[in-house]
Amino acid sequence: MKPTVGLFGLTGCAGDQLVVLNCEDQLLDLARLLDLRDFTMAASEPDEDCPLDIAFVEGAVLSARDERVLRRVRERARCLVAIGTCAVWGGVAALDRLHDRMGLVREVYGDAGAAFDTLPARAVHEVVPVDYTITGCPIEPAEFLSAVGQLLLGNLPIPRDTPVCAECRMNEVGCLLLDRGLPCCGSVTLGGCGARCPALGVPCIGCRGPAPDANVEGALAAFAAHGVPAEEARRRLEMFAPLPAPVAAEVA
Amino acid sequence: MSRIVIEHLARVEGHGGATVELVDGEVEDVRFDVFEGARLLEGLVRGRTYDEVAPITSRICAICSSAHTLVSLMATERAFGVVPSVRTARLRDLLLRGENIESHALHLFLLALPDYVGAPSALAIAETRREAVELALRLKRLGNRIQETVGGRAVHPVTAVVGGFASVPTEEALLELRGALEAAQSDAATALELIAQLPPVDVGRSPTAYAALRLPDTYGYMGGHEFAIAADGRAVTVPIEAYRSVTRERTVPHSHAKHSRWNGTPFMVGALARLAVNDAHLPPIGVRAMEQVGLARPFEDPLDNNRAQAVELVVDVEHARALVDEELAAGGDVEERPPVHPREGAGTAAVEAPRGLLIHSYEYGKDGRLRRADVVTPTALNAVSIEHRLRRAAEQHHDLDAPTLRHHLEMVVRAYDPCISCAVHVLDRRRAT
Repeated sequence: MKPTVGLFGLTGCAGDQLVVLNCEDQLLDLARLLDLRDFTMAASEPDEDCPLDIAFVEGAVLSARDERVLRRVRERARCLVAIGTCAVWGGVAALDRLHDRMGLVREVYGDAGAAFDTLPARAVHEVVPVDYTITGCPIEPAEFLSAVGQLLLGNLPIPRDTPVCAECRMNEVGCLLLDRGLPCCGSVTLGGCGARCPALGVPCIGCRGPAPDANVEGALAAFAAHGVPAEEARRRLEMFAPLPAPVAAEVA
Repeated sequence: MSRIVIEHLARVEGHGGATVELVDGEVEDVRFDVFEGARLLEGLVRGRTYDEVAPITSRICAICSSAHTLVSLMATERAFGVVPSVRTARLRDLLLRGENIESHALHLFLLALPDYVGAPSALAIAETRREAVELALRLKRLGNRIQETVGGRAVHPVTAVVGGFASVPTEEALLELRGALEAAQSDAATALELIAQLPPVDVGRSPTAYAALRLPDTYGYMGGHEFAIAADGRAVTVPIEAYRSVTRERTVPHSHAKHSRWNGTPFMVGALARLAVNDAHLPPIGVRAMEQVGLARPFEDPLDNNRAQAVELVVDVEHARALVDEELAAGGDVEERPPVHPREGAGTAAVEAPRGLLIHSYEYGKDGRLRRADVVTPTALNAVSIEHRLRRAAEQHHDLDAPTLRHHLEMVVRAYDPCISCAVHVLDRRRAT
């Protein structure tokens, strides 16, 4: 029997659901292999109550409404997969930790903002337990499809642990940070993107969040050696996700 | 009193809905509701250096991420007095065509088409009409291939930077793309035929104003320094920098939301607005396409926006091929980028995103950091027009049974191809109500 599946968006840019729809060559096969019950971005008449074998959730939790939706999805789902950097880490919306959030709300929306349903950004795992994560801003189509394949076999895919830097070496691309002095975040960012940006001459901006054993001290030292002050280095490294706590405290 | 509530509108980008209240057959209130959470990105981007701005503002919306990226770069370039090369302009044009092709194929066939055939989704349509869905997916794939070739990634492009491109497509990649574009011409023509054959649905007609970037010559999505608002056969032009005079939000009696109007008339942005403003620049294939889908002034049917998108699909596939040919003839391996010197100053830029006019306006401080950002998105601009057309549809069809009326109302909203992740940047005021 086909597994029942839902795809949900909390607050975000919908880029990860778009990547699913961008699997043009596999989309009809996915529809054949999965019983897509609840995918509001692509289909009306969703079944909003059925139990789900797999729920994919993108976006960060930014409102009480998001939290309600997420808790309900968790109740329904046997396996909850957070997709995209916002769901996995909080993403760019979680930069609100660096600002006076309610001050910004008032500034953008005026006094009416005080009455808004708005909460500080949280990743999905900060609200409910998560069974598996597929990071990326946006997710890589190949990683999504490969995870679906594993889940169909009843396996949880093995999480990746190597940084973008390792993939750069495999691409035989010279180091943007050490050779060209560009502020590349690839040494501490989780790989899986094939080091796309450095291969195109663009420094990694860390859109996939930190690798598990990220050597943040080393990255900060390398940034400093190339004239990037600690404040700027930290700002760049934390655009999509906070640095691991002890190091962040040290830098602060 | 009866009330029709569309809680969570399916087959659109983001979380939104609509509410129509009827009292004795009279429309009492109409609301286009936005439930998207507030990410406050215009605030969060403050204090960043210029190279960090576009990667953050791009995240406002995935489905328009190339348009957000490019208009962001252009606003920064205006602030710093940077003038990119002709080649950069060509590659940016190509990138926007790719996004437009992808977005229109997605909207027309995966989001809007199911309404016309009474199916919940395109995947359901594929069970009986697989070839039509495969055709749409091929066109969508083509748009993404263009964005991957030029921008390095289909969603949130990476190669476009302030001043130009960090890397340019290889000749090999361009030749492959050229082959794909050539093969796609017949697909685009078939897509146009399919849209031309859609059964007419009467959701009410009403005169409206249209706003779009006014292009100097070629039909497309960037270039020019002013936008035009066309109403009653007349057009007024406004310099891009003066956008606030048109988009300035006003309080309207029926809601706490503030709304954009032009001289009291709601205006529409998007493919239909672009045709209304720039049809003189349409290539012959576009003129023929308009005839084929039966598009003619005064464009009073909101569903005409679907037909207008089909016209643009055909135009873009042809024009993208011409751009690739130009790039093959004139390009080279290295992109000449002008130097970028951050300075204090303001810059405003506008492009046409697939769903309409998109404006970014920035101010940089003496330290070269971003001091202020203002983003005006197409769906926010369309909000008044959407409510106006919902009202017209409800007035005209108030005697229909609720499910049918609801279906009509959903079709009206979807025809605007709304992007609610974008819209939230202005419309959140409403959520307080």
